[in-house]
Amino acid sequence: MKKALILLGCPESPSQTPMAVYATYKLKKMGYDVTTASTPSAMKLLEVGDPEELYIKNKVDIDSCIEKLDKGAFDLLVGFIHKDAAVSYFVTFYSILDTKSIAIVFEKDADKLAEFINTVSESTDAEIVSARAYHNPTPLRVKFDKTLQKLEESNAL
Amino acid sequence: MFCLETYLQESEDYKVLIARTGFKEATEVIKENALEIIYVNPGDKVLGARIIGVPPISVGINEEKGTVLFPYTKPCHGTAVVEIPVGQEEIDNVKKLNIK
Repeated sequence: MKKALILLGCPESPSQTPMAVYATYKLKKMGYDVTTASTPSAMKLLEVGDPEELYIKNKVDIDSCIEKLDKGAFDLLVGFIHKDAAVSYFVTFYSILDTKSIAIVFEKDADKLAEFINTVSESTDAEIVSARAYHNPTPLRVKFDKTLQKLEESNAL
Repeated sequence: MFCLETYLQESEDYKVLIARTGFKEATEVIKENALEIIYVNPGDKVLGARIIGVPPISVGINEEKGTVLFPYTKPCHGTAVVEIPVGQEEIDNVKKLNIK
């Protein structure tokens, strides 16, 4: 079974938690065994929203995960980026895993969004899903779907 | 073997030169405060812990002072620059990681 790692950032942006559940749902439908790496606070939000673990089953602490991570441990990396620190974490996970990756970049501020996108595109070959988003996850969901479809059609996933 | 996480939890003799900043700003602080800079890849283990950041990641060395400066990132707190005292053996090990 193919394995995907979803990397969550600080949970202060409201779009992240529902998009994490949605991304897990989509990837499971595509046949991935999905693991979610996050801070304890981001994990609490997922646990309250998905109490019977219908979607989020495999959960690991982000810092424990990175210490044990090896090249090729996952077939797909999906990272949520809405802060400077999340850019650093995504690029680091990408560098260690050396695998197909999707960066979901979102921010209210257009300048910060552009800066995050530039840094990710300069440092990785990840597919970038980006939108000016904070409360409303719909623009990200639509673009994420299109990216998954494009990658599936090109047999990249 | 030296373990960075344990050291930061249990010791008080390290300095935080800047905290809750961005990675670029942290890199500038390292360059301003170190006599020697080496560069490592994201995920390389420096002093027993994986370094998080955007490549090439600057790590500072003040050999006479016996300290190493590096970025320390947490998801909700941004990046800090930490300067910790280490032995010559650890400084030599850090220098071996230089990718440039």
